Amino acid sequence: MARRCKNLPMTFYEIQIESISREIYSNVYLTKQVIQAKYFIDNNFSNNITLEDICKAGYISKYHLIRSFKKLYGKTPNQYSILVRINRAKELLRKDNSVLEVCFAVGFDSPTTFAGLFKKIVGSSPRSFKNYKIRKAIFKRF
Amino acid sequence: MKIKVTSVMVNNQDKALKFYTDILGFVQKRDKPLGEARWLTVVSKEEQDGVELLLELMSFAPAKTYQKELFEAGIPFTAFNVADIDKEYQRLIDLEVSFSMKPRQLGPTKLAVFNDTCGNNIQIFQVL
Repeated sequence: MARRCKNLPMTFYEIQIESISREIYSNVYLTKQVIQAKYFIDNNFSNNITLEDICKAGYISKYHLIRSFKKLYGKTPNQYSILVRINRAKELLRKDNSVLEVCFAVGFDSPTTFAGLFKKIVGSSPRSFKNYKIRKAIFKRF
Repeated sequence: MKIKVTSVMVNNQDKALKFYTDILGFVQKRDKPLGEARWLTVVSKEEQDGVELLLELMSFAPAKTYQKELFEAGIPFTAFNVADIDKEYQRLIDLEVSFSMKPRQLGPTKLAVFNDTCGNNIQIFQVL
């Protein structure tokens, strides 16, 4: 039968985790609000969402959201939203979608902005990324 | 320069391959003879062109001490990302995997630690 950990003493690692949790993440309610705001971005990134929309979703002020989001996720809500869109763009580019289609599908209005951000985050342009994936898929067949 | 391979030290490569594929669900990618050991790698089923995990045979005595001390302190050797940690925890418990830390939240992340039966604690985490 599986050894369930509820009867075991805490390991050194778990004690450290508990201590970090108490010291750094003591405001459970604020953490919950920020996580809620992040979920909103995850589920609505392709729409034209504003910072106000994100704040509303998390029941949190702009000041607290930007500050706490950066503290919890290491990025501002805007930076995170761009990253989510670019990750989704990578998935779509692996399929049969054109760069332009992908650009609009992940909520960018300008192909130039999309290409610039994509290159900055991924390290190659959307077109090179797509071509590389196609070549790799063809190569795999042989 | 690209990161293509990372590794976990294991005390038995056959046993490790079975655990990492049959239990964790990874897919075997390479298996090449390399003297006493093998160049044995697995990849995530969802990212088969992603980073390979080398199941590296532990054969260097000082490293064994390091691995043993980490294990006894409950410190994970490495960590894998999962989409739903509670679901994954239950799936692994049903497969009789032994956890030293059940899922618990640390700020915006949920973590759990299990024994890979090859000398390591492995952490799984979900970013909430």
